[in-house]
Amino acid sequence: MRVITKLLSLLFISCLTLTIVSAQTTSFRARLSEVPVTPQTYKTITGVGEVFVTLNGSTASVTGTFEGMSSAASAVHIHNAPKAMNGPPIGALEATSLPAGSISGELELTAEQVEALRNEELYIVIHTENNPGGELRGWLFARD
Amino acid sequence: MNNLSIRSFTKFFLAPAIIAAFLSSCSDESTDGAVGTDTGPNTYTVAQADAGAEAFAANCATCHGNDLSGSPLGPMLAGADFMSRWGTQTAGALIANVKTNMPPGGNENLTDTDYQNIVAHILASNGMIKGATELTGSSNIIIAAYVTEQAPAPAQRRRSQFEAAGTSGLVIPGTVENFVPVTDAFLRDPDAADWPMIRRDYYAHSYSPLDQINTENVADLKLEWVWSMKSGSSEPAPLVYNGVIYLINPNNIIQALDAKSGELIWEHHSGPINQRNMRNIAIYNDKIIQATTDSRLVALDARTGEKVWETVVADASKGFSFSSGPIIADGKIIQGQGGCARYIPENCYLTAHDANTGARLWQFNPIAQVEDPGGDTWGGLDDIYRAGGETWITGSYDPDLNLTYWGTAQQKPWSTVSRHLTIEDVGLYTNSTVALDVETGEMKWHFQHVPAEALDIDEVFERVLVNRGDKKLVLSIGKHGILWKNDRVTGEFLGFKETVFQNVFTNIDPDTGLVTYRDDIINAQLDQWIPACPSSTGGKDWHSMTYHEPSGTIIAPLSQTCLENAAREVALEPGSGGMASSRRFFEMPGSDGNMGKLGAYNVDTLEEVWSFEQRASYHTGTVSTGGNLVFAGDLDRYFRAHDVTNGEVLWETRLGTSVQGHPIVFAVDGKQYIGVTAALGGSSPRTVPRVIAPEIKHPDNGNALYVFSLPN
Ligand code: HEC
Repeated sequence: MRVITKLLSLLFISCLTLTIVSAQTTSFRARLSEVPVTPQTYKTITGVGEVFVTLNGSTASVTGTFEGMSSAASAVHIHNAPKAMNGPPIGALEATSLPAGSISGELELTAEQVEALRNEELYIVIHTENNPGGELRGWLFARD
Repeated sequence: MNNLSIRSFTKFFLAPAIIAAFLSSCSDESTDGAVGTDTGPNTYTVAQADAGAEAFAANCATCHGNDLSGSPLGPMLAGADFMSRWGTQTAGALIANVKTNMPPGGNENLTDTDYQNIVAHILASNGMIKGATELTGSSNIIIAAYVTEQAPAPAQRRRSQFEAAGTSGLVIPGTVENFVPVTDAFLRDPDAADWPMIRRDYYAHSYSPLDQINTENVADLKLEWVWSMKSGSSEPAPLVYNGVIYLINPNNIIQALDAKSGELIWEHHSGPINQRNMRNIAIYNDKIIQATTDSRLVALDARTGEKVWETVVADASKGFSFSSGPIIADGKIIQGQGGCARYIPENCYLTAHDANTGARLWQFNPIAQVEDPGGDTWGGLDDIYRAGGETWITGSYDPDLNLTYWGTAQQKPWSTVSRHLTIEDVGLYTNSTVALDVETGEMKWHFQHVPAEALDIDEVFERVLVNRGDKKLVLSIGKHGILWKNDRVTGEFLGFKETVFQNVFTNIDPDTGLVTYRDDIINAQLDQWIPACPSSTGGKDWHSMTYHEPSGTIIAPLSQTCLENAAREVALEPGSGGMASSRRFFEMPGSDGNMGKLGAYNVDTLEEVWSFEQRASYHTGTVSTGGNLVFAGDLDRYFRAHDVTNGEVLWETRLGTSVQGHPIVFAVDGKQYIGVTAALGGSSPRTVPRVIAPEIKHPDNGNALYVFSLPN
């Protein structure tokens, strides 16, 4: 009996996933906040930002803003890893080379990357002059 | 007392030290004739201590104070308290301990030499006599043996100021009129007007049946009075009994206040003065039972504040400390133990004592020893290297079953690799619920929620006892933010609910509750950064949750942050041990920057009924009332009343500093009051918001008790 319930609920969950995918969410958002900080580093890793992604087929159009960073943005990348984990970059975006400014760009995503986006497994990193390893970061979530 | 014993110890050891100094100066002279330079015992050099002072200022002073006098972020590193904890250890052991554990954020830029210099500075500031050679990691001098009393260092001056103000017993005498002794029957079923223990009742419901203040009129709540409290680290749970508030202050100071007027009745100082935090005290018969931060139990006359008896539970010089007080069950004081991370032969007992005399009745060791049942779950480590299992949060009690329920903390050090174990070495009976027979201390059952915990995410917090029909349940939430439901007669697992995002486990078996760790956590190596959600602040921490019986909901103060943890190396040798991780913190993905969350869960279905999220983290326990209200306070100084059915904010006010502690609900002469403390200090729950949300500002003083009521 228990097994059957489990099977049913599994089926149900996979149906749900299917519906979500077929609903074809096209709009995503990330809040950008500081990469991991300690009492020793939190005053030199600062700022906040917001990024929006619109998916048109496999083309991701990205816009965003940021402010309050310790130094000028030097690069912005999209990375691939599950929430809170660290993963490799899969693409680059344009950004104002100032501590506050905007982000823009267009990326062609592979089918796998589109899947990753929908699974909340893509995140944005802003690298800065003072923090070349990254200063702000945020995962992309579907906007409802 | 401690002071005295250290002094006689000093005299005893100083003689050989001086002889050694004398001998070494002789030999110096005979080799190169340099008289008066570089002579002295084998302690540290002035140049070394000076270099250490600089490194200390840069790396340690933010928490321990420039002059070592401590702050709400870290304890004092000078004076009697420090000497009582470290005086009998070697300087080498202190160096190793500091290197393994400090600073908590990480130590990538600090070399061995830096650590030796810093410790030289600490010891110099504590009055250790300077010597001919530099202090090194292999130094085996006993610290107290070289500490004289005439050191002029600033910390020394501060220390005598603190101590002069210090441990002098009944500082302000007075009498509680018409005192009625507290009986077992009363504690089983307290008067609605009273809040006679932490979380109010044996079941740990943090619920008051009072309903004069309710959803209709709470908007009119006004401040009745404020009482400023002593400064220092503070997470207080005041008691209210028969119109009197018994208030635990930092530095082991207890005050009795008239609950209606806020007038002081008596004040007692049990010492030590050390900026450390004590959450709660207990009342029984005609006594206030106090656990001190240096692991003593003290009984005060609840009427007069005079000391009745005192007993040492564990040796503070071995690192043992209390941060929570006892629960009194069936005439017994049941007291948990903290500070059990050092590799020492002494055990970390939860103990039971006669409430009239303090005499020890039984003890329970949460760490299975080699010979014990479960002793084979520690990877063959010798007993001395089995550390952790602290019972640092007060347990609960079922008088019908005569069982007391406690959470145990995780193994120490924090990471598996630091403790020379693997994820298979589950370490019974850590990170478990244990149900103990109050009569004998015998363990009736245990349930290990998170075996072999690896990231300082322990499961120690309050066990809430709930009856639903004929089901007797125990519910708890640990730092993983998982709400666990067990049968409290048998321990059987009945279900779980993830209250915040967690990524430590890839699976939690819905039938058994067995957790499966992520692979990289299983395989974590020394100095490798491992990300995890929640952080060591926990999905939930010491701030207790309330059970609102009328609606069958638990409302929990939750927190949404994550960490990266890197294990540090710990030597497998006596005197070593510690926590041994570097940590850094970040916002929880998907929280949209909201650290604070109040979550309401139906105890039957475990479904989330409502949640309320905000940027500021919560720093009080939640309490609920018969007026269908939930109260909670936060880092941003707000104290709010929510509707228990939907979380809607019905009233709010803003206090002097961060709202922290355990709110209380009580009545005097038929009028209802709500009390709450503003307070500072604490470890991860404070450190993490401070670095993640530095824009939330609050004064760094302002410990106080605020009492609210409706206008007449
Ligand atoms: C972010 C705050 C913070 C920083 C920075 C910090 N500490 Fe600590 N330290 C603490 C806290 C909190 C404790 C108490 C831990 C406990 O009791 O479990 C502590 C405990 C200690 C202890 C043990 C005290 C005792 O009585 O047993 C020593 C020694 C110590 N720290 C030294 C240092 C040194 C040296 C540095 C700099 C290299 C440092 N700390 C940096 C917060 C800090």
